[in-house]
Amino acid sequence: MMWFIGKRLVQGLITVWFIATATFFAMHNVPGDPLLNDRATTAIIRANLEAKYGLDKPVTTQYFIYLNNIAHGDFGISFAQENREVNDIIREHFPVSAILGILAVVIAAVGGILWGSLTALYRNRLPDYIIMFLVILGISVPSFVVAALSQLGIVTINSLLGRTFLPVAGWGTISHMLVPALVLGLTTMAYLTRLMRSSMLEIVNSDFVRTAKSKGVPPARIFARHQLRNAVLPVITVLGPSIAAITTGGFVVEIVFAIPGLGRFFVEAVQQLDYTVIMGTTVFYGAFLVFMVILVDVIYGFIDPRVRMN
Amino acid sequence: MTTAATDLQHTPSLLELEDLAVEFSTYGGIVQAVRGVSFAVERGKTMAIVGESGCGKSVTVQAMMGLIPMPPGRITSGSARLNGVEILGRNIINGKDIRGSQIGMIFQDPMTSLNPTMTIGDQIAEPLQVHRGYSHKRAFAEAIELLSITKIPEAAKRARQYPFEFSGGMLQRAMIAMAIACKPSILIADEPTTALDVTIQAQILDLLQDLQKETGMAIILITHDLGVVARMADDVAVMYAGKVVEHGGVDDIFYRSAHPYTLGLKLAMPTNDPSKQHKLNPIQGSPPDLFAPPIGCGYCPRCPYSMKICDVKDPDILPVGEMHESRCWLQHPQAITVPDELYCGEKA
Amino acid sequence: MSKLTAADFAPHSNEHHCHALSRPSLSYWQDAWIRLKSNKRALASGCLIIGLLIFTLLGPLLWSVNSSEQDLDQLSTPPGSARSALIIPDYEPWAGPTTTVTELELAGSATTQSVRLQWTSLPEANGHRIYRNLYPVGEEKAYGIPMAEFFDNNTLYFEDRLNLSPGIYYYSVVALGNNRRPTTEAATIRVDVLRATTVDEAIAQGLVEEGEEIAVGDTVNTALHPLGTDYLGRDMLARLMEGARVSLFIGIFAPLLYVLMGVVYGSIAGFMGGKVDQLMMRFADFVVALPFLLFMILFKISFGIGPGESGIFPMLMAMVVLLWPATARLVRGQIMQIREQGYVEASKLLGAKSSYLILRHMLPNTLGVVLVTLTFEIPRAIFTEAFLSFIGMGVAPPTPSWGSMSNEGIKTMLNTPHELIFPALLISITVLAFNLLGDGLRDALDARMRNTE
Repeated sequence: MMWFIGKRLVQGLITVWFIATATFFAMHNVPGDPLLNDRATTAIIRANLEAKYGLDKPVTTQYFIYLNNIAHGDFGISFAQENREVNDIIREHFPVSAILGILAVVIAAVGGILWGSLTALYRNRLPDYIIMFLVILGISVPSFVVAALSQLGIVTINSLLGRTFLPVAGWGTISHMLVPALVLGLTTMAYLTRLMRSSMLEIVNSDFVRTAKSKGVPPARIFARHQLRNAVLPVITVLGPSIAAITTGGFVVEIVFAIPGLGRFFVEAVQQLDYTVIMGTTVFYGAFLVFMVILVDVIYGFIDPRVRMN
Repeated sequence: MTTAATDLQHTPSLLELEDLAVEFSTYGGIVQAVRGVSFAVERGKTMAIVGESGCGKSVTVQAMMGLIPMPPGRITSGSARLNGVEILGRNIINGKDIRGSQIGMIFQDPMTSLNPTMTIGDQIAEPLQVHRGYSHKRAFAEAIELLSITKIPEAAKRARQYPFEFSGGMLQRAMIAMAIACKPSILIADEPTTALDVTIQAQILDLLQDLQKETGMAIILITHDLGVVARMADDVAVMYAGKVVEHGGVDDIFYRSAHPYTLGLKLAMPTNDPSKQHKLNPIQGSPPDLFAPPIGCGYCPRCPYSMKICDVKDPDILPVGEMHESRCWLQHPQAITVPDELYCGEKA
Repeated sequence: MSKLTAADFAPHSNEHHCHALSRPSLSYWQDAWIRLKSNKRALASGCLIIGLLIFTLLGPLLWSVNSSEQDLDQLSTPPGSARSALIIPDYEPWAGPTTTVTELELAGSATTQSVRLQWTSLPEANGHRIYRNLYPVGEEKAYGIPMAEFFDNNTLYFEDRLNLSPGIYYYSVVALGNNRRPTTEAATIRVDVLRATTVDEAIAQGLVEEGEEIAVGDTVNTALHPLGTDYLGRDMLARLMEGARVSLFIGIFAPLLYVLMGVVYGSIAGFMGGKVDQLMMRFADFVVALPFLLFMILFKISFGIGPGESGIFPMLMAMVVLLWPATARLVRGQIMQIREQGYVEASKLLGAKSSYLILRHMLPNTLGVVLVTLTFEIPRAIFTEAFLSFIGMGVAPPTPSWGSMSNEGIKTMLNTPHELIFPALLISITVLAFNLLGDGLRDALDARMRNTE
């Protein structure tokens, strides 16, 4: 097991290196001087930058300075927000996005497994039809529409109840987190429901479930020990990349609900062409996602013994 | 048959299946997979159900065990009585599930028939926990016992392993251990050796016979291999196109075949006698389409002795000898051109 | 039970056939087509998609309004609003009221050209401030937007020419005290503003037929906008059609390209096997690891968008470069699986060459998977484009796309929902149709991949 984890970690590091490299060369393709533009006009910043990135040196040297900086966890200084370190920005705003993301993933996973199992067990009966209809809606309506509509919904509920039952935007308390996390997790939940459903349907008709029935095992136990454990495997595989989708989808939710998360700042940085923030956030997000996928793989290894042993 | 034949006619059989009919609603229409199957299984004896793929032998026993998903399956008629108690469509008698406790079952492909994410020991322990209320510890210990009974070496170590670490033959032994854990009175073996090598096949069959001697359980053995039938069976039911076309003792079936299909099966068996050099004799043609089952005898198109009535009317079950019946018009007293190879009972 | 006669038991002749044994056999594609046809949802989706394509390609021929043209008379008008406009004389500045009134009144008719009010001095007023509101003032005295202030007691009239749209307005006059602050004295009037235009404007906008004479007092119909207009007065239907072209172009072409790339890459890797395959897949894994959206944005920036360009091409490029690995891996897996199958071995034993194996065995069997993947990638691409446009990283204005239209529509969601509803609805319907079609294709083409519904 340790060997398995170790191998994956090494692979992860190589991937992060690749991401950092790709980011560097992508940014260097921007016409003009990427790290110097109209925005960073003060002499102080200019001096700082030249020292840090060796902008007068050849590209390869810059590249190694860049890598070195990253290895020390230094992503540089933001342009748009003068003299504010990118690290600070990440440190301050990432936890917000992380909480939102984790909440969304939990909602999506629990919901997906639950609804998917239900539709499989009640196949072609009413619960199945209702849930699948909602699922199809869930994968068809764009997330920003759902976000906007849910805000509308909150406003309506608030006015009906005559008080602020749920906050419409902002961040801070649990009630601020609920609706955004739900909206964020919705598309993934719909997708996971479908996946769980087809996985479950396969398992429900599988030979080993038939054997369990022939042993007289009661349905509840069959569901928990035989069906669920096996049907959940594909869902877990998908969970890793889903986290990626949720993290990036968080942009929209953060913007619509005015949540001070890293995604929103990333979008602002993009719109303002704040290059250091863009680069730093990209590498950071990349590393985060790689780590998440490894984590999911390890969990999968715990559940499915065949993966461990190979 | 045995001398206790007359006794058996009066004491009820362990399991009596009467006129079972099962159909499936599929994409292409309704398939009548089982069209009226009846047989009886006696205590401590082995009943073999023989037939080619698609004749309905698996569906018959699975329907009895409540393993057919309903929809798309449907039991349209029939009754199954275990010790006189009706079990068709109701597997839970007096709050206890008879499956796993009174009837055990093993399947054709052990690799897919076991839960890949549970240890073998846990899976064998499961029926003990469910039916006898054992604690996990006690059940697991007994599981190790059962593994040694089915002759798996290093049982304690093996019990903690997962199915993918076993070979096919060992998995089948593990499945047998699982099925007999609660000492059922009947073990149903659905083509248990089809997926195994010939040498392993022999070992598994021997194991089954030994277990039967020790525990006195009856065995329903489903197979398409006449060699297995000859070796294991006491009684045989030959199935074709969803019906039983001939049933009787094993000697009757082999030496006094009373149905053209049985004859065809015997002739089709390859022989390893080097002195006999001839081509294989397959039965020409294919089984009927069960989406639109024939009105007459299902075997008619492939039968070399078919008569006009065979196409038009499904044969009644006609007696051939003691405890030996055949569903064939050639057994009817009015049949004229009866081939010599066909046994027609002690008739003139 | 009728009696059986001897004739019944007469044997059959040798050539007798009892009954037909089997149904006609179908080829793989025939079977799949039959299955697909019987799937009603997939059929409906297919028709919908064809309808969409017709809408996109032929629509502009039938409805040839310019999507960038602004109809300033009708800003943010919902579909189905009244279109009639009154012809009035050309505008002349107002010199002031010619009569005196006892309360707040309209002077003349209220049209979109101007609204003229006059009032009498309010008690203890040293001046007046005029407000305009879209909603009734009510108990809370919500007067709305302040329009003008007069600090003397002689200016008792006001002309409003600011952004007048047809509809109901509530004007209020509030008295100002000595300190120039509002007092509690106020008067409110409800004004129904009619749409109006002058003769010259009507002719300029093409609202008048050739040779037709119009005069003051006539009514003409302003331009028809079947789906309303957006906040800049541009026709929604025309924008939706052009947006369809952009969204569908990216949505269909990008997946077409990167799926093709994936097929070629994956087939080579799968067929070659061994070290070549390992290397190729490693590279693909790395591309997969790149956080997609972030890199899409990075790509867009680094490729740069000049003014006047729509930004479609960089987006297309970015998608192709980043999204091919998934298909490559899928195809490679398929090819490897097929290679192990018995029928390939058998074919080789019969002497088949590699090219024959690829063409006759491997590609047709992969085609099903590829087709299904393609059908699912299209809605994904449409979503991605919509998403990027939503955060401002998509096509550049004024090129419309459904995503950017939704983005604009969200801002006025509460007042003029039609600006959001139409593009969002179109996105949803298109995505839904492709998803259902993909489901249907998958059920029809591959028993193993079937959703077992």
